[in-house]
Amino acid sequence: MSTITFTLNNSQVTVDAPPMTRLLDLLREHLHLTGTKEGCGEGECGSCSVLLNGELVNSCLVPTLQVQGATVTTIEGLGEHTHLHPIQQCFLEEGGAQCGICTPGMILATHHLLEKHPAPTLDEIREGLSGNLCRCTGYMRIFEAVQQTAKLAEAGK
Amino acid sequence: MEQQTPQPITESKIVGVPTPRIDGPLKTTGTAMYSSDHHFPGLVYAWPVTATIASGTISGIDSSSAEKMPGVLAIYTHKNIGPLYRTPPSAGFSMILDERRPPLEDEIVRYYGQYVAVAIAHTVEQARAAAEAVKVTYNKTPHDTSDKLLDTPTIAGKLKEVTKRGDTAAALAGAAYKHDAVYSTPTETHNPIELHASVAVYKDGKFTLYETSQAVVNHRDVMAAMLGVPPENVQVITRFLGSGFGGKLWPWPHALLAAASARNLNRPVKLVVGRSMMFQSVGHRPAIDQRVQLAADKSGKLLAIQHDYVNHTSMLDDYDEGCAESTGFMYSCPNVLATSGLVRRNVGTPTSMRGPGAVPGLYALESAMDELATKLNIDPVQLRLLNEPEKDESTGQPFSSRHLKECLTVGAEKFGWAKRNPAVGSMKDAEGRTLGWGVAACTWIATRTDAEVNVELRQDGAARVACGTQDIGTGTYTAVAQMVAHETGLPLQRIDVVIGDSGLPPGPISGGSWATASVVPAALQAAQQARKQLLSLSTKTDGCPFKDKSVDELEFVDGVVRIKGQSSGGVPFAEILKTANVRSVSGTGKSTGLFGDPNQKFSFHSFGAQFAEVTWQPEIARLHVSRVVTVIDAGRMINPRAARNQIEGAVVMGVGMAMLEATEYDHRSGGPINASLADYIVAVNADCPNIDVTFLDYPDFNLNPLGARGVGEIGLAGIAAAITNAVHHATGIRVRNLPVRIEDLLVAPGNKTS
Ligand code: FES
Ligand code: FES
Repeated sequence: MSTITFTLNNSQVTVDAPPMTRLLDLLREHLHLTGTKEGCGEGECGSCSVLLNGELVNSCLVPTLQVQGATVTTIEGLGEHTHLHPIQQCFLEEGGAQCGICTPGMILATHHLLEKHPAPTLDEIREGLSGNLCRCTGYMRIFEAVQQTAKLAEAGK
Repeated sequence: MEQQTPQPITESKIVGVPTPRIDGPLKTTGTAMYSSDHHFPGLVYAWPVTATIASGTISGIDSSSAEKMPGVLAIYTHKNIGPLYRTPPSAGFSMILDERRPPLEDEIVRYYGQYVAVAIAHTVEQARAAAEAVKVTYNKTPHDTSDKLLDTPTIAGKLKEVTKRGDTAAALAGAAYKHDAVYSTPTETHNPIELHASVAVYKDGKFTLYETSQAVVNHRDVMAAMLGVPPENVQVITRFLGSGFGGKLWPWPHALLAAASARNLNRPVKLVVGRSMMFQSVGHRPAIDQRVQLAADKSGKLLAIQHDYVNHTSMLDDYDEGCAESTGFMYSCPNVLATSGLVRRNVGTPTSMRGPGAVPGLYALESAMDELATKLNIDPVQLRLLNEPEKDESTGQPFSSRHLKECLTVGAEKFGWAKRNPAVGSMKDAEGRTLGWGVAACTWIATRTDAEVNVELRQDGAARVACGTQDIGTGTYTAVAQMVAHETGLPLQRIDVVIGDSGLPPGPISGGSWATASVVPAALQAAQQARKQLLSLSTKTDGCPFKDKSVDELEFVDGVVRIKGQSSGGVPFAEILKTANVRSVSGTGKSTGLFGDPNQKFSFHSFGAQFAEVTWQPEIARLHVSRVVTVIDAGRMINPRAARNQIEGAVVMGVGMAMLEATEYDHRSGGPINASLADYIVAVNADCPNIDVTFLDYPDFNLNPLGARGVGEIGLAGIAAAITNAVHHATGIRVRNLPVRIEDLLVAPGNKTS
């Protein structure tokens, strides 16, 4: 067991967990934050995406020890269902979420993408979301949700 | 059976209006509860041990060291899993499952990946480590995972006739124009992004099972039978499903492992099926060989169709893909023969995958039509228009609603088909890449199954609608809310949809694209019953302005009870309930199924046409699907936005089917070798073409009063053939063995080509 302290969605948490516990399991099984999803456990699908010190990572590949002192943002840290983050609002409105299992990861990937490219081109969107698989939507509506979010941010400036 | 025939509903403020999903806020915030998200005090974890041979018997299982590992609670094998039973034969639409053998039934192994034991521990890591420490020894016997199917011994010893009219052999012998080819499709794995999972809770003899299920009611019945308890002792819950594509229609053995472990240990157990196991024991679309023979006269009029298919199945279960489902009615043709055959292989049991039967079947038939068009020197759109039937020639029934011709002509117009030069490799885009244009027609069965719905109008001003169906990502929550909104005039935010629980009034499976069509009559009827009860209550409640009026004088509009036609003086229903001190009024509605009803008056099918453009750069051997136009005739869309999503998703899945997807068996071990999302390639965002979707608006009121059919499968039914036909147009190479591989295209024409 290791005692690990880190910042999770803006609050400090301390947990006792085996150091090699996957961050994904720490979030889901220990902390019951089940918005982060598991689609493969092997770094292939992106549905477990979280932000680690602002970088997009697959939480299924991150040992818990590695988050000591770090800042982690999960989907639960982005918005609430009574008060959606603009990315969430746009995914909802544009039909970017069908079954919804890839959605939390897609939204965090979008968040990361828009930090880097506030007005992304279609190629930048494809590149930015290339680590996230969706088996339902056919991707077009996801791209539109991203573009719509960027447009809203631009208009809101 | 006498059907309820309510009036067609042609006008609506909400049905047919593009509507964002009502469950969108839950999904985008990660608060929607999928099966593996459930947690309970004392929860422990299961990890299965899977067979590393494809045929043989277990000679020994040594779990002694695994049992001593930290956190381990139990290792179950065929010796100590406890009672698990097989199901009685399914009758009609109940008690369905594809792999009928309960897990750990005996020491026999029939496929690679079959469960041979399961480890239970306090954490998932401990369970996995223990499972890996279980030593299993086997007596191996030879296995067969060969993908050569046609002309290998079938279970029945001969091919079974599926549909037949006229004299196909004579027509084929005498025809001036003929085509004869074999089309092969590989094992495909559904690969929904959500892993299959079970969280089993056992208490006082009762099971509460949080499952990844597309059919909670059937799942309950099967689990009860296999666990040997009465159905009322099992409740199955699937609030949200991370998609299934057919793979989650029927229970699979892992669900039994979780439930039996929970029973044995008397504590909640979570079992999440690993991605590699999802290539082994939760079904797949089988490998299929199809021989298609066509004959036509000089004008292109079809004279004969013969369609013989063989699919693999497992050693114990007989799964028939049903590839000739549409062969009998797709085109007008006097002589038709279709046959099927099953061959045994040492593979997990196959199951329905999106558009079972029709999707691979139409890949073969529509490829053959394209090849025939080339031989006849007739435009492929024209060839299909020429052979349009007046009625379903396989049954003699009129089509309830068939607008395939319009799908083809509208699609051709949108695509710009008139500019197509039929000569192979003759068309280039602005950058000099070779273009290929292909077309295919598609169809999918429409039907309605039994369903029951309850609608409650509550004192808090909201409506609750309950049905034991489930939303697998297609938008059922929203569609059901729209139906009740239509009938009650309440806004969507005031309608609670409760589904995904086997304890609710029995609802339809989410498969076959039938859920929506099945729910419609029941939902409308239930809302009407609730309204009647409300109006009746209004006439009997002291202090209500409508006391002693007759019910016939009243109406319920936009959530308000009023005198018919009078826009003022209305009372919100919540107030009437409050005045009467009644918590809610409710009504129940029932839909009766059409599926398998021999007295059906109509042939119910949806139709469509799909046009694909590929770009081909021979110098770097790069093939890309650049554009797909789809026109669908599937009745009225209750939610055109969700329907469009379904078609777009299917088109991209179809790009995968045509160009990427295949489960490869390692014939030495018998196991699927590319059992990961890195090696089983699905279409990703870089593969996704420009997609145009058009719905023809012909409500099918013979099916239900809203005229809705369903769009889950049809978008996948023509796409593979449209793409391979386009590949031929671009390259001159006819790929009859999916997926299209670059290696196929490097072969010179004349070698393996038409
Ligand atoms: S679960 Fe982590 S990438 Fe798939
Ligand atoms: S919405 Fe289902 S996987 Fe993306």
